[in-house]
Amino acid sequence: DEVCYDRLGCFTNDIPWGGTAERPIAKLPWDPEKVNTRFLLYTKENPNNFQEITAVDPSTIAASNFNASKKTCFITHGFVDQGEENWLSDMCRRMLQLENLNCICVDWKGGSQCAYTQAAHNIRVVGAEVAYFIDTLKNNYGYSPSSVHFIGHSLGAHAAAETGRRIRGIARITGLDPAEPYFQGTPIQVRLDMSDAVFVDVIHTDAAPIIPNLGFGMSQAVGHLDFYPNGGEYMPGCKKNVISQIVDIDGIWEGTRDFVACNHLRSYKYYSDSIISPDGFIGYHSPTYESFTSGTGFPCPSGGCPRMGHFANTFRGVTSVSQKFYLNTGDAKDFSRWRYKVSVTISGSHSVQGYFNIALYGNNGSTRQYQIFKGFISPGKTYTAYIDAETDAGTLDRVKFLWNNNILNPLLPKLGAQDVVIQYGGDGVTSNFCGSGTVREDVLQTLDLC
Amino acid sequence: APQDKGLLTNLENGELCLNSVQCKSKCCHRRDGLSLARCAPKAAESQECSPYNLIGVYYKCTCESGLTCEVDRSIVGSITNSDFGICVDPNDNVL
Repeated sequence: DEVCYDRLGCFTNDIPWGGTAERPIAKLPWDPEKVNTRFLLYTKENPNNFQEITAVDPSTIAASNFNASKKTCFITHGFVDQGEENWLSDMCRRMLQLENLNCICVDWKGGSQCAYTQAAHNIRVVGAEVAYFIDTLKNNYGYSPSSVHFIGHSLGAHAAAETGRRIRGIARITGLDPAEPYFQGTPIQVRLDMSDAVFVDVIHTDAAPIIPNLGFGMSQAVGHLDFYPNGGEYMPGCKKNVISQIVDIDGIWEGTRDFVACNHLRSYKYYSDSIISPDGFIGYHSPTYESFTSGTGFPCPSGGCPRMGHFANTFRGVTSVSQKFYLNTGDAKDFSRWRYKVSVTISGSHSVQGYFNIALYGNNGSTRQYQIFKGFISPGKTYTAYIDAETDAGTLDRVKFLWNNNILNPLLPKLGAQDVVIQYGGDGVTSNFCGSGTVREDVLQTLDLC
Repeated sequence: APQDKGLLTNLENGELCLNSVQCKSKCCHRRDGLSLARCAPKAAESQECSPYNLIGVYYKCTCESGLTCEVDRSIVGSITNSDFGICVDPNDNVL
């Protein structure tokens, strides 16, 4: 059957909206008054306190700081969440540091804090409300959808899809871990897909199946560019023990959210970090995470690699075919990492059981020591590994080598690195370092450019 | 034997700790007197560091291997564990 609301039109729960394998329970979206979609505007003039505006009474838009000559970015939350949650306004503030735009947090907690199967239908009203809002801007200000970017987390990504289906020509939709249940494997008129906007980019951080792994996010690639950080299923830093998870650095509330859905929430944390890290979060093209870890897609081709997150739209290689990208991130804030390929040729008199590390030094800073190999270290052999450094060292001028084997060595063995080759993934630039002599364990050997 | 994932040993960065020996990184770090201590990575070259102490909890982590924490040790500082230094490579000035 069907329900109709003024301003937003009619909504059916016939197939494919309900009664299918993917969507067994057929429900109808709630009344817009009950869903109560609210538009909370942030601009450079009011970065900390939102102005609530509504298309139902356009005078509120005229009276606000809304600037029709600037881009507009809608951000909305997902199931159980709400629009006044910190991550949405924090994301707005970070964007406002870069440029002046209309940053509108869309709150629909009226329709999100209920049974999931109901919330999965309520987002159709939310998407319709945002479409109605954009139409009002078009009529009152001649505002073009090509200035609109819609970021949706979880169910919010599919709300953005509904807006994209109603208003053609929206510049960009960003899906932050789009919700899987009731959407994965459904027709494109139900879920987020490439046709919903000129450019659709997606970040998958909880892509394990809902049963049995409780992965809330889609694994299916649905955008022009689909990013799978850390493989898309288990995010670093989400495996802390219970107490450490709940008693989080940012407080008990943030800790409880992470306790419930750590992987799922990482998608908006990565996006938020990407705003202030324009050269970070480089995505490498690869069919699977396993082949990425063994070097597929490394280094970036001449056309460059896309950046996961805010700057994904600067990538020139977008086509009408879905492309998957992989990368690694850190386990806590400032999640961005920089990927290098490190090859070390060992010198010394005889082999030693142990491990060795390399640290990079450049004009932009230096990195920690990263373990390249652990096992039977033999002089003359070359060992290669990929590292994801926590800082972008920039143009490299030195590297340091250190080995250790954690056991007492009466013979005081010595090892050295005679040759170290470092290749940066972002641009493929290779630097060659030459070393002389050997060092005892736990002593740093410096190698300069050859 | 202590299993890999525990409340007490082999702790990941970010997990609550009472002593550095519990952490995989071997540094149990707290930002200030009021905050809880968590495992954190050791300090890299030219970063702020604390010299090794017996208490096992640090306001700044100790240095990565091969580096030393250059600090003018004051008696008071070493008691309140609040004198910090910078990690330096002892061989650097030799070259």
